[in-house]
Amino acid sequence: MNLIDCRKISSALMGCYCSKNTRRTPGYEDPTVLAAETPFTVSEVEALYELFKKLSSSIIDDGLIHKEEFQLALFMNRNKRNLFADRIFDLFDVKRNGVIDFGEFVRSLSVFHPNAPVIDKISFAFKLYDLRYTGYIAREELKEMVLALLDESDLILSEEFVELIMEKTFKEADMNGDGRIDQEEWKEFVSKNPSLIKNMTLPYLKWGYNLSISQLCNEL
Amino acid sequence: MASRSSGSGSGSGGKTRVGRYELGRTLGEGTFAKVKFARNVESAENVAIKILDKEKLLKHKMISQIKREISTMKLIRHPNVIRMFEVMASKTKIYIVLEFVTGGELFDKIATQGRLKEDEARKYFQQLINAVDYCHSRGVFHRDLKPENLLLDANGVLKVSDFGLSALPQQVREDGLLHTTCGTPNYVAPEVINNKGYDGAKADLWSCGVILFVLMAGYLPFEESNLMSLYQKIFKADFTCPSWLSSSAKKLIKRILDPSPMTRITIAELIENEWFKKGYKPPTFEQADVSLDDVDAVFDESGDTQNLVVERREERATPVSMNAFELISKSQGLNLSSLFETQMGLVKRETRFTSKCPANEIISKIEEAAVPLGFDVKKNNYKLKLQGEKTGRKGHLSIATEVFEVAPSLCMVELRKAGGDTLEFHNFYKNLATGLKDIVWKSVDETKEEANDGVGFVSS
Repeated sequence: MNLIDCRKISSALMGCYCSKNTRRTPGYEDPTVLAAETPFTVSEVEALYELFKKLSSSIIDDGLIHKEEFQLALFMNRNKRNLFADRIFDLFDVKRNGVIDFGEFVRSLSVFHPNAPVIDKISFAFKLYDLRYTGYIAREELKEMVLALLDESDLILSEEFVELIMEKTFKEADMNGDGRIDQEEWKEFVSKNPSLIKNMTLPYLKWGYNLSISQLCNEL
Repeated sequence: MASRSSGSGSGSGGKTRVGRYELGRTLGEGTFAKVKFARNVESAENVAIKILDKEKLLKHKMISQIKREISTMKLIRHPNVIRMFEVMASKTKIYIVLEFVTGGELFDKIATQGRLKEDEARKYFQQLINAVDYCHSRGVFHRDLKPENLLLDANGVLKVSDFGLSALPQQVREDGLLHTTCGTPNYVAPEVINNKGYDGAKADLWSCGVILFVLMAGYLPFEESNLMSLYQKIFKADFTCPSWLSSSAKKLIKRILDPSPMTRITIAELIENEWFKKGYKPPTFEQADVSLDDVDAVFDESGDTQNLVVERREERATPVSMNAFELISKSQGLNLSSLFETQMGLVKRETRFTSKCPANEIISKIEEAAVPLGFDVKKNNYKLKLQGEKTGRKGHLSIATEVFEVAPSLCMVELRKAGGDTLEFHNFYKNLATGLKDIVWKSVDETKEEANDGVGFVSS
């Protein structure tokens, strides 16, 4: 029996999504492999594939999520630029090729699983806020993010108030007073303020998406 | 501007102080104890405080045993054992102040990275044995070694928790005897399952053997969905080492997981084992003088109350002021729930708005608007709990509300569905918004949206 036959049989036994779906997308990976590497079950990975197909075909039907498709899903507007959505997209795009394939989508989302280790969530959030990839969150980076949030929320704050917020934050987080927040300081700061990584957990990921929409709405 | 108390985790509900410690969020909970994060306000050091209920301990005649174990634990100072700093008591509770570590559980590493390489597994195993050997030499046995009790500090050093407090996970039956109740017996020695009395040192070593197996294999040596089948496997030590283990590692595991405690390897023999000795550095640490005065004071039965601490709550004068990261975390771009909600037609379970009114005015206005809608309002400083009086589709609708201070003249108000039906929550806040029109701050852009939306809410 050749390798392909073996794989067909194992797919049938595992009830893999790949056996049901003939049209493969670029970067598609076997749900059993992805489930073994993440907190997701095989059926949850298969359900995430359904979501992935919707997202990746919303503008260009090529089985890859482009930045505009990601923005469309988050804001229902393909042209709305958002610093934070850009950062998330860039972190999901592990291969740095400007698109998110299915493997990247599942592995990146696994950090947001309720059962993912807290340390991974803390680390992901740090990377998110380290805009210049320096291994530190610098004061000017943080200010840039605060201004982006205020702009996004249509909040107008005077420079003086923005500085007050910056001062308060650095006083609490920058323990060695060097004007930047390193990974250890960030870990310590989050342990004191757990609400900072609240958005690093998506309760939706705990329920298998093989539930029908009506069941899911009922569940929520 | 009031700053958020470190680790308070209780939002604006005020801080709780016990002695010189400010209590924060709950880290874990068991039958007899609750563990809370806390901060020493004098030294700014983070600690964990295990809180025991005196009444429960008295009821189960565990006081003398707990005193004995706490006294012994206080004397234990080892780099691989979670340190006990001090013990305090109020009229109703005992507070055990412990070292707080931030590196998570060792087994989180395996959950994310899979099995460890042999050298790394050996490094952790050596630290575990160092801790166990040291405690055994002082007559302290763990009796419940399992993954949850193996923690890592910020530098990746292994720390064993719950050493010595072996009375706590056990239950007292009507016969007045202690009986171990193992949630999962996967790590428990066969002689412990037999419940016929056992040598604590040998039983602990068996658990260490199971832990070593999991570190290197990535799965449990004994696993069965049927409890009786699992017991049989444990009694016979019916397991197979995976092929990727070195032969010396396999041999050692077989010597540790020997079902007969009489022939099982001892720690003294283990430390001389060639596989174990590779790269082994015996721990170096100083033995300091330790006072047991606080333990004696806590368990003083003379009725003297001068040593008791009081758990007191400090009320907040102003709402929680948000730091920059809390503010940023409110961005819609960081709210990946939208990926699911927009695709699956789900209704949002959280919303927020901003206001230029003073926080106490916002609280009053929300109360005024919620009561006519049939909601009971419970206030706790700058937090509100709105409870629907009518039973909805999924029980009573319950909404948690909190006011945060973004800047001295700007507040952010969050409303979150805490219970009940999501669609009912959605309808509720549409109605509530009408009553809050005059306090919601609207910028130019929001005013444009208002024509469609009714009010300047920022959904999340």
